[in-house]
Amino acid sequence: MDISSILLLILTGLAYGMLLFIFASGMSIIFGLMNVVNLTHGTFFALGAYIAYSFMSRHYGFWTALVLSVIVIAAIGLVIERLMLAFVYGSHDREVLVTFGLMFIAADVMKGIWGADSLTLGAPSALNSTINMGEVMFPAYRLFVIFVGIILAFILWFMENHTKTGAIIRAGVDDRVMLSALGINVKVVFAGVFVFGAVLAGAAGVLGGPILSIYSGMDAEVLIISLVIVVIGGLGTWKGTFIAALLVGMINTFGQMYFPSISMALVFLFMIVVLLVKPTGLFGKEVGA
Amino acid sequence: MNKNKVLSIAAAIVILLLPSILSTYGIRLGGELFIMSIFALSLGLLMGYAGLTSFGHASFFGTGLYVVAILGKYITNTYVLILAAIVITGLLAWVTGLLFVRVPGSYFFMLTLAFNQLLYVFFFKLKSFGGADGMAINVNPDLGFGPIVSPVGRYYLTAIAFILCFIFLKYFIDSPTGRIVIGVKENQSRMKALGYNTLYYRVLAFTMTGMMAGFAGALYAFSNRFASPESISWMLSGQVLIMVIIGGSGTLIGPPIGAAVFVVLQSYISSYTERWPVIMGVFFLVLVFLNRGGIGHILIRLWNRAFPDRERTAARKSGLLRTTDVIEEET
Repeated sequence: MDISSILLLILTGLAYGMLLFIFASGMSIIFGLMNVVNLTHGTFFALGAYIAYSFMSRHYGFWTALVLSVIVIAAIGLVIERLMLAFVYGSHDREVLVTFGLMFIAADVMKGIWGADSLTLGAPSALNSTINMGEVMFPAYRLFVIFVGIILAFILWFMENHTKTGAIIRAGVDDRVMLSALGINVKVVFAGVFVFGAVLAGAAGVLGGPILSIYSGMDAEVLIISLVIVVIGGLGTWKGTFIAALLVGMINTFGQMYFPSISMALVFLFMIVVLLVKPTGLFGKEVGA
Repeated sequence: MNKNKVLSIAAAIVILLLPSILSTYGIRLGGELFIMSIFALSLGLLMGYAGLTSFGHASFFGTGLYVVAILGKYITNTYVLILAAIVITGLLAWVTGLLFVRVPGSYFFMLTLAFNQLLYVFFFKLKSFGGADGMAINVNPDLGFGPIVSPVGRYYLTAIAFILCFIFLKYFIDSPTGRIVIGVKENQSRMKALGYNTLYYRVLAFTMTGMMAGFAGALYAFSNRFASPESISWMLSGQVLIMVIIGGSGTLIGPPIGAAVFVVLQSYISSYTERWPVIMGVFFLVLVFLNRGGIGHILIRLWNRAFPDRERTAARKSGLLRTTDVIEEET
């Protein structure tokens, strides 16, 4: 094993991990702040990719397709939050059941519209090349995804620590009742957080389109990976989500190289080990269920 | 003899007489229905009586199925195969239960889901167990009086298995241990204060329901004669969850009713349109939003209204009836 192929694996793992981070950060914030297990998160991911595919096949460019599908996802997210989820907040079981029902329906609708065969999104032309990085050749698009992930991590970190929105969200993770007692409109915060999470998922779907193929059943697959990431990282912490996403991306990439048949199992085993050592996840605080 | 007993015996007789009026297709569907009913019963007990919403119950169903598929190559004795399926799923459920049951609600839910996916990947990737293509099962059920190959024979096999499981759970819930399991669900800290090891009872419920799901999986192996990773997927876990919710958790008759509605509707709607999950999903959402409990609850309410029990009506009016008592009388 020479150094250049290891470097290539690290970059690939990093790109996958960053994509997972973009996706899972939305899950993490919905789960952390609203304490809602949102099973439609993977649906937004798949929808984002599929809708972008439809736009692109009508000869919109990648970037236009990205913006348009994110807008569509935001609208769908808002409708779902206001018309469905808002009525079941507070009951964990019913939140799970409603989002599961929606996921069940959406998976079938997507299959009906886009078929069961896998589709691919083309990378934007500006990034459709490989970059010579001394030792290795690496696709420019994947570097771009790594870059987006780092920017997002920075934005989330800045928002969390230096803005009022961040303060409200942090307060909400710790004490939701106090938040409403302070006169903050929790309804608006909830709707905003849910739509923000949905947008992150949808954007991750579009960004992931050129890297992963789009296929029916991907919604559940990414959902479960993101659940694993959120559990490993700990409830309601972006730092945890970031590190867990990178770890999972790396484990998965290296696992696929060296133990192809059990690469996914490695991720799950890692999660079980983390939970045995620290039931609240790597960076999670003690939070009641 | 009280009216519930009369009803139970009547239901059992109907189940046993049904094949004489059903078509071959109906008899086959009936067999599948009883297997799904056992599966749903096990999850229903876990959710309704132990308060553990598992999203990975297909882990145990699928494991039971694969145990029969794999061991069936070497062993043909039906009793041994079924027992092996139950014991192995029991061990699996015990170990995972010890790990999962101690984490709080939403984490439990996600852990069971992740574990389900772990097993799915395992069977999907492992070529020696057929991988994604699955594996054929070439062993027939034989209870000591010749192989059971006809659809009617399989119907009776599954029907009797279902009735036995139902009776077993009925007695379990009424037993002191069952009472404690319900108590742990209702108020864990009080049960702890009373000196009960609440963890033990939650693991017990998890293990027991895992074994029952494994039993259903073993029966499915005999009737389906094929093991595929699909029968261990989160999708099946979700479907059985839907069955329990449609039928109503916290009752014993709910899950089998939910399974019946699901299986029959699925086969009926899917003969008209490929998009049956949409219709099932909408039906499911409507039930969740109505929040009137499942079909089981509605039937029990109607039944009690049609045949009011004087003592109970008085108790309810005076407010002496607690939720646990309602669960108790409804089973």
